[in-house]
Amino acid sequence: MAKWWKKLSRRGRLEQDLAAELEFHREMAGVNGGTIPLGNAGLIQEEIYDAWRFNGIENLWRDLSYAARGLWRSKGFALSALLSLGLGIGVNTAMFSLAVEFLLSQPSVREAERVVYIRVGGGSHAEPRVVEIFNQSGVFEGVVGENDEPAINWNDGTETKPIFATQGTKNYFQVLGVPVALGRGWTVSDLDDVVVLQHRFWMRHFNGDRGVLGKTMVLNGRAYTVLGVLPEGHRTLMGFGYSPDVFVPQFVEGTNLAIYARLKPGMGLGEAKAALVTITARLRDEFKDQNRYRSPGEMTPVGGIARLQQERQALTIAAFFLVLLVLVGLVLLIACVNVAGMLLARASARTQEIAIRLSLGASRGRLFQQLLAESMLLATVGTAVGFAMAMMMVKLIAAIPLPIPIPIRLHVEPDWRVVAYAAALAVAATLASGLAPAWQTVKDSLAADLRKERRLRLRRGLVVAQVAVSFVVLVTGALFLRSLMQSASLSPGFDVRMTARAAAHMPPGAYAAKGRMWAYSERAVQELAALPGVEAAAAARIIPFNDATSHGLNITFPDTGEKRQVRYHWNAVTPDYFKAMSIPVSAGRVFVERDGSGPRVVVVNRTFVRKFLHDRQAVGAKFSFDGGMREVVGVVEGTKVMTMGEEAQPQMYEPLERAADGRTKMHFVVKSATPPGGQLRAMREALRRVEPSAGLEVATMYNSMGLAMLPSQVGAILMGAIGLVGLLLASIGLYGVLAYAVARRTREIGIRMAIGATAPQICAMVLSDAGWMVVIGSGIGLAVAMLVTEPLSMFLVPGLSPKDPASFVAVAVVLGASALLAALGPVRRAVGIDPMKALRWE
Amino acid sequence: MAKSDQPALLQGTLELLILHALGRGPMHGYAIAQTIHLLSDEVLKVEEGSLYPALYRLELDGAVSSSWGVSENNRKAKFYEITRRGRKLIAAQQETWSRLSSAVDRVLAR
Repeated sequence: MAKWWKKLSRRGRLEQDLAAELEFHREMAGVNGGTIPLGNAGLIQEEIYDAWRFNGIENLWRDLSYAARGLWRSKGFALSALLSLGLGIGVNTAMFSLAVEFLLSQPSVREAERVVYIRVGGGSHAEPRVVEIFNQSGVFEGVVGENDEPAINWNDGTETKPIFATQGTKNYFQVLGVPVALGRGWTVSDLDDVVVLQHRFWMRHFNGDRGVLGKTMVLNGRAYTVLGVLPEGHRTLMGFGYSPDVFVPQFVEGTNLAIYARLKPGMGLGEAKAALVTITARLRDEFKDQNRYRSPGEMTPVGGIARLQQERQALTIAAFFLVLLVLVGLVLLIACVNVAGMLLARASARTQEIAIRLSLGASRGRLFQQLLAESMLLATVGTAVGFAMAMMMVKLIAAIPLPIPIPIRLHVEPDWRVVAYAAALAVAATLASGLAPAWQTVKDSLAADLRKERRLRLRRGLVVAQVAVSFVVLVTGALFLRSLMQSASLSPGFDVRMTARAAAHMPPGAYAAKGRMWAYSERAVQELAALPGVEAAAAARIIPFNDATSHGLNITFPDTGEKRQVRYHWNAVTPDYFKAMSIPVSAGRVFVERDGSGPRVVVVNRTFVRKFLHDRQAVGAKFSFDGGMREVVGVVEGTKVMTMGEEAQPQMYEPLERAADGRTKMHFVVKSATPPGGQLRAMREALRRVEPSAGLEVATMYNSMGLAMLPSQVGAILMGAIGLVGLLLASIGLYGVLAYAVARRTREIGIRMAIGATAPQICAMVLSDAGWMVVIGSGIGLAVAMLVTEPLSMFLVPGLSPKDPASFVAVAVVLGASALLAALGPVRRAVGIDPMKALRWE
Repeated sequence: MAKSDQPALLQGTLELLILHALGRGPMHGYAIAQTIHLLSDEVLKVEEGSLYPALYRLELDGAVSSSWGVSENNRKAKFYEITRRGRKLIAAQQETWSRLSSAVDRVLAR
């Protein structure tokens, strides 16, 4: 350290000091009559500077400024290299920041690492009483309950519409420490009728008016006072970008709650889990009559990667992002190879300069460092360009409204992880694009004749690698596109073209009474069916692709006494449901009005019959489960439940009249003789006539199925775009190599033409050069793609193999075509060579 | 480090000689060379080409310190002074040197 300081403090004076000292020395020698030394002052200087200056850094600085001047002089090269790198790094950084935000973000609560999510009884939610028991146990600093599901009806003065609400317990804001931008969150001493707004909702519906505090909003027919507004970047506990419109204290009695607990300071996860065992034992005692709290509880942190353990689907999402990151990584590789190719071409122009410097005594290490400095400069500036591009891309992606009925907002901000990733990319890009050319240049600069041939061979090798990598990237993109096309032609098992659906959210208080929901549904169906142009109308608990309820239980066949474990998707519908949805009946009958009373009947689908009824006569089969005996009166074709790609699921329908659960949400479906878009208004009005206070969502079936299409659509678009970027970069690389090869062979081509070669022959010569590279590259790419696309099958529709021949052929054709395009320019130049000029060349 | 034909022994020796000379009091570069020249009965001649790099090395190591002053003939000159660290270095190097020279003597005596 002392040495550093000495060096630094003397830096500016060193040169003059030394000169003055030597001058004095010579003067003294002269005065004293001795011989005046004629030593080499420069050499002394060098020796002293070596010790007294920061050589590494100062050399690097010199190299960088030299490289900058060099790049400035060849702007075309610098620009295309920067564009290649910027594009590659930009795409990478954008994908990475999306993946980080989606998979690793922390919810906006104080000290998120101390907050855990608790599951008891194997379910995601539990009774409010369970939250109380957790709080009373005193094990945790605080325990809150939250429910993200409910829609709450908001009357904005002109219309009632359902908005997304998160219900939280009274201690929600205090325990979690959720930061609030404006006003405050509710506390235990607040009334029930208060509401905290999400920033986006506030901006959109209140124009960001700060005077909104203290105003009232009519929610579910009651006046709620606005207490506060959350900050713009608020991330919910649920994560994955889910952002409801408002937060309210628990408004529905008995809503089940997701449990979140704040650990006491210093309490480890292991300790907390041990305490959980004791508490679940208490739950078992208190809820003796219910079996649900028998299974042990689970506890997961709310932030970071550990959160993913609670979501089974998260693994697929994570895998999807992994594939994306690998693909964009390959694109960056292609970009680096491009830059490497350009650097090699530049290097051949500098061979003389380097040979001279080597013979003047520059060390190879020094030259190597200098050449790497150039690619380092390129990569650094490229990263800056890429970073800016990435932030733009991410903002763009996040701003696209997703066609799904759930409010998802990703708050992507460059944090240290993204910056670190971009920096790592810059280093990787420097090495990938600069190492080989620099090595080759320094190594070859003394071996005069062979060098050009060898450098060209290296560049050809690079292009072959590029073509191979593009092949893999393109195949992936093509597979996702094919998957998208196939899923569009897959049938969900019901009509989506001529149907429209509506969801009605009833005020929970008024509709809690038994039979109220049924009475409402019956009247609503009558009103809908009476609309002009409507062929059939029905009510249903569940509309496929919007939500699903699956049951797993034991059924007993009374005739043989055989017991069987079954798992199926449940729905409760009115008689015309099958007609309205165009679900074909394959045996027996559908429901009729008298099924509302008397013996309980069900309709099942063919998969249910195949899986659980086996050789029994399906229609007329009887079995019993907890609610008593059921008789199968009809068999229908199956429908998809949540995704297009899923396998056939067993399904069971019950008459809606018999399904008396406390739910206050009802779906309606209408089959129209005219395009259903024109029916929406009439449907809304009809439903409003029946119950003015209901919150309504009305949409065509086609539009409301966005969620089902989303993964394959987004995947296909992203992968397709990445594939195209890769193809573009690879074509540029191919063009560069061919152009260089033609330029180098100008003399040869000239001689050939002079002794009678025809234009087609020259043309064939250049094309075969390109052809070989593409053929070999494609061959390697094909082999690699065969191996690596296997894991993609999890994202593809069933029946589409990751080795889908059509995709592979298409990719080969596209690659060939773009190679031809890339070769066009060089071929024209080759044919246009004037033999006389060519012979005088060089 | 610059390429030097002198073996490491001689380089180390020069530093020892410089430090020893400075042991007689602060002096400028030319005076150091003269002192060594005289003390060696005009056998050793220290060239500026090796003197100054050695001085700068020693200064960086903290064995000597320097300051600008006025020479005996009223010229501005840089004076070197031995530091505590430098004195310790003399002791250590002297020891090394005497072991080495006596070893060389013994070899040559046989």
